[in-house]
Order: sequence, then structure tokens, then C-alpha cells
Amino acid sequence: MAKLLDKQRYKCAMGAMQTVQAITRAIPILHSGPGCAQKLSDTVGSSGYFSPNIFPCTSINEKDVVFGGAKKLTSTIENALKVIDADLYVVLTGCIPEIVGDDVEEIVSEFKDAEKPVIYASTAGFKGNNYKGHEQVIDAIIEQYLKKSDTRQKGLVNIWADVPYQDLFWLGNLRELENLLREIGLVPNTIFGYGRGLENIKKIPEAEFNLLVSPWVSVGNMKKMERKLALPYLHYKTLPIGAFETSKFLREVASFAGVEPEIVEDVITRHENYYYYLIERYADMFLEARVMAKQFTVAADAQYTLGITKFLANDLGLTPAKQYVTDDTPKQFRESIKKEFESLNYGIKAEVAFETDSFKIHNEIREHNYHGYPLILGSYYEKAVANEMQGHYLNIAWPVQDKVVLDDFYVGYTGGIRLIEDIYSVALQRFN
Amino acid sequence: MSYKIAVASSDGINVDLSFGEAKNLMIYNVQGEEYTLSETRESIAPPAAEKSAVGERCRGCAPAATGCGGRTKAEIVSDCRCVICKSAGFNVRKQFEKSAVSCFDVECTIAEALDKITRYFSRVDGHISLKNFK
Repeated sequence: MAKLLDKQRYKCAMGAMQTVQAITRAIPILHSGPGCAQKLSDTVGSSGYFSPNIFPCTSINEKDVVFGGAKKLTSTIENALKVIDADLYVVLTGCIPEIVGDDVEEIVSEFKDAEKPVIYASTAGFKGNNYKGHEQVIDAIIEQYLKKSDTRQKGLVNIWADVPYQDLFWLGNLRELENLLREIGLVPNTIFGYGRGLENIKKIPEAEFNLLVSPWVSVGNMKKMERKLALPYLHYKTLPIGAFETSKFLREVASFAGVEPEIVEDVITRHENYYYYLIERYADMFLEARVMAKQFTVAADAQYTLGITKFLANDLGLTPAKQYVTDDTPKQFRESIKKEFESLNYGIKAEVAFETDSFKIHNEIREHNYHGYPLILGSYYEKAVANEMQGHYLNIAWPVQDKVVLDDFYVGYTGGIRLIEDIYSVALQRFN
Repeated sequence: MSYKIAVASSDGINVDLSFGEAKNLMIYNVQGEEYTLSETRESIAPPAAEKSAVGERCRGCAPAATGCGGRTKAEIVSDCRCVICKSAGFNVRKQFEKSAVSCFDVECTIAEALDKITRYFSRVDGHISLKNFK
């Protein structure tokens, strides 16, 4: 019997065109059918230096299936180089050319002497979702552009986090992670967002190490860089939200980087003092608003489900109901992520399901007894079920339909405060 | 299942004419991956009296600019599964689509085009994967 997947929370691998777009002045060249970019682009934030759904595209058709799309791809790359002022051109392949066997590697290799770098990533939809596609693009940069460096820049750290645009808060999160590292005396290097780009990509091999803040996305990229560029990496699985996790995060990074403990403790103390000052000022409200939800559920990708579950349990003392990881986490990472959910403070363990089918998730949420109003953080898909249960709902994961995020963030001490503001604003709207 | 393929060629060897330029179309009969030339079909431009008022001004059908004659020509091959020609105009392609006729605009020998296209249709009809088709 055929299986149906209801409302999945990811796109096909060619959604990685958003990863390319997040690199300033980089442009994807799509070797795909004419509708792929339109289908994959998000409707929020549809303008910019390059619009997210108006990319050079071979628009392959039946003729190209039969006779090959090589000529068309060659001319599309040639013309893109002529008319589009970009720093990096990334050819992304869709399903059709991958199935019929267009040799994209060979075609792209003809442009190795071009004035601007042209690389390619295999992003056929049948190879996986856009998390996988994101990894493929990073892999392409590592394999086809980066070279091992003999020099290391002291304190330079490459920061990698989850998938741009798929993660609503990607830009703000990256900048806040940069700020945190800067405060403990390190020099952060990221490749995504405003003011970053090819120059930052060039710096990658000169870093002392890679810092990956994600439960699983890009672990493969880190291993590849370790092999090719001799760059060690620190894998911090939990997106640090709020004081408890952020302090732990800073201590771990500092220890790995060899930063003096006094420096990091000073930074932590300063931040925590302010953080708890803010919490204290509203302690009464938190206590009174306990009625808002005794239990919470997060249905999002692994980074937010894990990060927010830890934050709500460890920092706010809320009790987790069942949590849902919806990003189709590869099986080899599931056990270690599950263990993170079982190591919350006060001996609390959260039950977690790796589930991509919204139908099942919503049915389980409906059937669970939250002992009051549920607090549900998730994608836009959770809005209806939250309304049905008269619950409190906050849209924190893709797809996002009722929220505009320019550079807001949930990471770090400040991010934790922002999340508290958002959650309790929702709660107070019920009573006022 | 047998079907027909129309080819625009000046010498019977190469696909070297646009659809509008071809005065005759070679019709191949295909069975599986075997094909044989079954007929040569005259491709007649419509008499001036039959052209619409728009047709006199429209130059969108083909390089030959036969006005609305393109529509008539498209009807000539409406019993074919596809047309192979050097090029075809936007409007005539739209007419092909209405009759579910595919159009392959290529420049190669007729044999090469027919080999590839018949192999492709054979796989599609047999529900055989196009994996590594080339």
C-alpha cells in the first residue's frame, strides 16, 4: 500500500539554492526544469541583490532528456558569467539531468579558468531533502574551491549552524554566535549573510578549528574539512538558547580553543547577571502565568526541538510533553540526539519522536493530556491543531506564514530573552 | 504500439530544415525501436484568402514567416507523435502542444535523431527507467 506523507517540513535537495543565495554575491545556476526554482523559493523575502526565484536556469525539456542538456548548460553558464555580476557561481542539478546522466562535472570543469569561480553540487531531489542539499553545497565549496593552508590565523574560528532560510532565524543566530565568540577573545568567521561572502570562504582553511552548532546538519562537511584541510572541529549539538545552555556552550568552546577560564567566566558572569536581572523583574508574571501551560510540545527540526526543549525545561522549569523532530534526521544521528533529550536538568527526560508526517504528529498532540492549555511551538502547520486545543502557539520553524523575521534570533542569552518575550506575549494575549 | 514521426530534411540524411522551411515532411513509421520511411507528405502553405486578418501581420510561427500557415502545417502532422526539425517557432509549437505532438529541434543526422527518440519512447512506453539514458 502506498504511503502518504502529510505536510512535510522540508523541500527537495535543490532547495539548497537558498544556501547559495545566503552567500552574498553567490548565485545558483540551475540545471533543471523550469518550475523548480519557483516551487522551491519561499514567498517571504522575495527580493534582494538576486531574487530567490529568478536564477539562470537551463529550463530543460523533453528534447534535453533525449539528446542531453550539455550544450544548454554550457551556454547558460557562459551567459551567466557574461551578464550576472556575481562572485561565485554554483551549478545545482535537478532530478532530470541526474537521472539521464548529464556529465555536469565535465561541463563545469570547462570553466575552471573562468574569471570567477564556477562549482557544482549534485542536488537531485531523489538524493534527499534540502538539509542534504545544504551539505552538498558546502561539500562542493570544500572539494572544488578550498585549498589547504599552511598558515593558521590565531583565534580564527569558522562557525557553522543550520540551514539558511530553512531556519527562520539563521542570520540573527549566526551574528549572535559570532558576538559570543568575539566576547571570549576569538575571531569568528562565517560565510553567510550581509557583509560575508567569498572573502570569508577564502579564510576557512586558515582557521584554527571549525565550530558546528547543530545536532546533525553539516557533520559530514566537518569531517571532510578535517580530512582535506586538516581542520579539527568541535561539534556542539544543542543550539544554545538561554543562560544555562549558553554558559555551557561558552565553557566548552573556550576549553576547546584554549581560552583562559577567567576570561570566559567573566563574560558568563556579566551575561548571567543581566539575564537573571531581567527574569527576576518578571518572576511574578512567570509564576502567575504558570496557568498558561504546564506542558509543552515542540515540533520542528532537530536544532530547534532540542534547543527549545532544553531551554524551556532547564531555564523556565516547564515540563516537556512528547517532542517531535521533523527534519528526517539520518538514522545514524538519532540515538545521540535522543540522549540529549534524556539529559535535561532535574533528572527530567523528554520523550522524542523522529516523525515527518504531520498527520501522525497532530493526532498525537490531540490525544495527549496537557493538563491545561498546551504550549505548542512549531511550524505554521501546528497553528490549526493549537487553535483546536485552545493552546498557545508560536511559529518558530519552517514553514512560516504568520511571522516576519529580519534578523531576530533565539540563540544565546539575548536570544533566550527574546524567546521568553515571544512565548509570554502569546500567553498574555489570552488573558488580556 | 506503432506511431509516426515527421522529419524536416532537405537531403533525406540530415535534419537541416526548420519546420516552416520544409516544403515536404518525411513521415517515418515506428514499431518499438524499428523505424521505416513510410511516406513523404507535402507541407502546403495556405492560400492567401484563407489567412486571417492577423495572419498577414503575424511573423511568429517560423523563420519562414508563413503567417497563420503555421497552424495549418501543424495540423498536417497531428497524427504524428513527434516532429524532428532544425527549429520551430513559438506559435507552431503551441499548435503542436494542442495536438500532443512533441517537437525536437535538433541538428544532426536523421538516423541519430530517430535512434535516440525511438529508444526514448520505447522506454517511456515500457515504463523503463531513464536512468543513465545517455
